Amino acid sequence: MRILFAGDEHPYSAYALKKIIELAWHTWADVTLLSVCPTQPSSRDPLPEALHRYREEFMEALGGPDSPYAQERWEYEWMALRNGSWEEVQVRRGIKKELRVRLRVGSADTEILNEAVRDGSDLIVLGCSGRGGSCTWDSAASTAPQKVVGNAACSVLLIKEDRPIKRILACMDQTTVSQESLEMINQLLTIHGAQLELVGLTKDGGARPEAYTQLIRIGDYFGDKGIPVSTRLAEQSKFETVLSTHTGDDLLALWMGKKSLLTLLFPRDWVEKFVSACPSSVLVLR
Amino acid sequence: MTSDQKTTVLILDDEPIVCKRLKPALEKAGYEVESFTRSREAMHRLTERQFDVAITDLKMDGLDGMAFLTEVKKRYPETEVIVITGFATMETAKESYQKGVFDFVAKPFKLGEILEVVKKAEAKRRSA
Repeated sequence: MRILFAGDEHPYSAYALKKIIELAWHTWADVTLLSVCPTQPSSRDPLPEALHRYREEFMEALGGPDSPYAQERWEYEWMALRNGSWEEVQVRRGIKKELRVRLRVGSADTEILNEAVRDGSDLIVLGCSGRGGSCTWDSAASTAPQKVVGNAACSVLLIKEDRPIKRILACMDQTTVSQESLEMINQLLTIHGAQLELVGLTKDGGARPEAYTQLIRIGDYFGDKGIPVSTRLAEQSKFETVLSTHTGDDLLALWMGKKSLLTLLFPRDWVEKFVSACPSSVLVLR
Repeated sequence: MTSDQKTTVLILDDEPIVCKRLKPALEKAGYEVESFTRSREAMHRLTERQFDVAITDLKMDGLDGMAFLTEVKKRYPETEVIVITGFATMETAKESYQKGVFDFVAKPFKLGEILEVVKKAEAKRRSA
């Protein structure tokens, strides 16, 4: 698994970093810590300093002798420089897994999305402020989290608070559910020892056959793996009521594939608005 | 192992979709691949021949991936074993590390990631 952490210097990013450390501890994922400066950073810019601090924190938690991230030996590697030339520099890599720290310059959401594609990330993790309200970053790139959630090609975990995940409330329509998204839920359930509740969204009363079939199929997938799962159907028009029933210890998971009924039914920016309004952390699955 | 021989890879995962994805991708990359969805069959095959690299899922009915890793390393210490798992925990990661796993890859992963790991395992085998 490859995880991309995108953060700034504010406390919500530190919460997201804690989640990354937890995920890495269990999964041995290759991890990239990324920040994006709107302009060339100066020596007093808080972002490089924050990234440095995040790396230290990560290695403090996971750099021990038995860790796959433990740094073994120095090696020389050729690095591409901006002007097309190369420089041979001495680097120290993890024994088995990599922790990369990167700083990019430009538009935050664009750079994060590009980095995820280049890195082949399976999951983007980022924090944001504004429980139940705004879901923003306290900087010029304020709406970056919403834009990343709305446009990423991979799954995105948006951390709003430093709270345990006790239940995953996974809402689905009849859109195709990818194997990768099921595996992502498996991992999160295992790591957090969380409960799973599947909510099949239906439209215009009654269970649409496709939604019902999908719900049973996915329920069986988890059941076959020995994961206790409860299921229920909910009318799409009452979707917001469904949301209001969950607590801060829930992780709300939504499948948002290209053909997701949710994205077809709601305006294009609905996902972005939804994650802002949602009171808990959100996992958008793709 | 000589340089003109194809590197041999065994895949064991009880989810057929994983074998279906991995086998053609590894074959396309030039590896000789055999895949199994039952650990008993994979174990039997190991009594017949050695593989350079073995990729195994962890959670399976019957002989699980940890037992498979133990058996492979006991029989062929030089075979590099890559563990893939949909239920990663710190304990299983540590245990597989102690048992000599080459790498531990949590699902989901992209084919490129597993190909990279197999390539590294192959390089280690060839340099041995």
